Amino acid sequence: MRKTKKWIPALMAGALAVTALSACGKSDDKSESGGSGGGEKTIGVAIYKFDDTFMTGVRNAISDAAGGKAKVDIVDSQNSQPTQNDKVDLFVSKKYDAMAINAVDRTAAGVIIDKAKAANIPVVFLNREPLADDMKKWDKVYYVGAKAEQSGTMEGELLADYWKAHPEMDTNKDGVMQYVMLKGEPGHQDAELRTKFSVQAIEDAGIKVEKVAEDTAMWDRAKAQDKMATFLSAHGDKIEAVIANNDDMALGAIEALKAAGYFKDNKFMPVVGVDATAPALQALSDGTLLGTVLNDAKNQGGATLSLALALANGETPSKENTGYDITDGKYVWIPYKKITKDNMDDAK
Amino acid sequence: MKLGLRDAGQFVTQYAIYIVLVVLIVCISVYDPSFLSVQTLHDILLQNATRAIIALGAAFVLITGGVDLSAGRVVGLTAVISASMLQIPEYARRFYPDLPQIWVGIPILLAILAGLIVGLVNGLIVSKLRVPPFIATLGTMVAVYGANSLYFDMKPNQSQPIGGLRSDFTTLGSGYIGNGGPYSVPYLVLIAIAIAALVWVIFNKTRLGKNMYAIGGNVQAAHVSGINVGRNLFWIYGIAGSLYGLAGLLEAAKTGGASNNYGNMYELDAIAACVVGGVSTSGGIGTVPGVMAGVLIFGVINYGLTFIGVSPYWQLIIKGLIIVAAVSFDIRKYLARR
Repeated sequence: MRKTKKWIPALMAGALAVTALSACGKSDDKSESGGSGGGEKTIGVAIYKFDDTFMTGVRNAISDAAGGKAKVDIVDSQNSQPTQNDKVDLFVSKKYDAMAINAVDRTAAGVIIDKAKAANIPVVFLNREPLADDMKKWDKVYYVGAKAEQSGTMEGELLADYWKAHPEMDTNKDGVMQYVMLKGEPGHQDAELRTKFSVQAIEDAGIKVEKVAEDTAMWDRAKAQDKMATFLSAHGDKIEAVIANNDDMALGAIEALKAAGYFKDNKFMPVVGVDATAPALQALSDGTLLGTVLNDAKNQGGATLSLALALANGETPSKENTGYDITDGKYVWIPYKKITKDNMDDAK
Repeated sequence: MKLGLRDAGQFVTQYAIYIVLVVLIVCISVYDPSFLSVQTLHDILLQNATRAIIALGAAFVLITGGVDLSAGRVVGLTAVISASMLQIPEYARRFYPDLPQIWVGIPILLAILAGLIVGLVNGLIVSKLRVPPFIATLGTMVAVYGANSLYFDMKPNQSQPIGGLRSDFTTLGSGYIGNGGPYSVPYLVLIAIAIAALVWVIFNKTRLGKNMYAIGGNVQAAHVSGINVGRNLFWIYGIAGSLYGLAGLLEAAKTGGASNNYGNMYELDAIAACVVGGVSTSGGIGTVPGVMAGVLIFGVINYGLTFIGVSPYWQLIIKGLIIVAAVSFDIRKYLARR
């Protein structure tokens, strides 16, 4: 009875072929919509991970900015540095005119710069800053990004401003801000810097702080919700503020706070995040999220494309041909923005 | 003297997982006595309701002697499917800008159906193509994530997290019976208990359940005794898939949002909970109460260690030790029998 049916593998092979063909068809469509023409320059873009919310915004900004001006080939490095290096080899063998690399591991940039230099393909790094020594290896290496500590500082300032304007936020009237911290992936540069600088900004504003609890929720909304529920049960009314390293975790914390009776009958908890995602803006307008910090994906993507395009055309990037200020001949710093209910249209 | 030691040893091996659970609770409560409260129990049950449903699904497959790696990605898929169709009309960035307010049951059924389909495909690959379950579900795990990401990246959403979910949907994840205090019972917990009861009936009172144990115990013997192994596996993977599907939509309802990385690695949590709860990875052995105990052990670890503020790095080390220790004890139980 267990005779292997001969048609099944054939069917599978057929299905595979059809899928592969249709996928090819689709990717062809995409590069065409990116604008294909005679002498257009091609830019290879390697993003560290496609399912990162912020980098998705940057990715979309790059392809929007490229429309009609350049061909872009955007690939997913799947959060693996070896995979990214393979993609870079591919860009080199396809003889692209420039590369934009969002490194998985910033210390691995040196290897990529060596490859780029050997093939004479200029490279723009984005969002994850290579080590300064690596940046010096070649003159056609640039970096576009934000100063990560600034996002933490702004988060802290949002809370400090609120504290000064709303003395009732000090629920136990001890003059000290008792906060809980929801961290991203431990060891992640953004997570560590935001954690450190948010607290420092509150202290710099002359407010005493006390850490009630701190744990990682891995940037994840569901995990943050569970952690916050645990904090509430362990420390209850002692908590006066919630600092999250990103919006997803801030929103998870808000769900846990709602379940504990906050955000109704005048019971409020200031919660701050970073990213200004669409659901976060909704929470701002609902009055549950106090504030967030916009990491300007549009300008990071725009600047990356402008720099890469200038380099692909053999020019030296400058304020004139890119529209962005170049610091130290190699760096474009895109500032963060504080977003609250009052200026949330800036982030849409 | 020798006999006494052996008796004690047998007691320990027999009830190893429950002893681990009690020791954990005692240790944490000694450190911080306020851990012992109804609120803690309430929170742990609530936080592990969806995990329990996923673990029950994983148990079906483990007991047949297989393994299902697609669980986590199916959770992500159905979280996104259900959330994408259940946004409030005034939300600024809707997945389907022109979708009317459809009955909440439709996306829920579609989500469970999506889970069922993935499960049935797993079943087909395992039973008809004879691909080992580890590889078959590894394939669907990767492909389902790809399909989900394609859907999630569609215009106008373009991979933004989905938010602004309707309250008639989120109430499934955040609603409760009672006054909202520690003694109230969340719907999620009720759903998990109902599912556990249903799975218990399937395991113990149906032909499918008996066949499942038979296939896991000895597939040749099951085949010779007239069990249609392929058809049973097909439906078992299907049931598992629909349980993941249910858990995924509940996860979206609970958090009030969804994105394509929801559920990432949940399959490993589920498998860990199952094996710690006494499900044998070589098949044929496993009970619903055991799986529930396994889920609760991890629930107590996650909640308790955060409660007393243990560093996240240490939490991982402790979890790893418990997986190995609990299973090494549990295996003794069956080695002794042979």
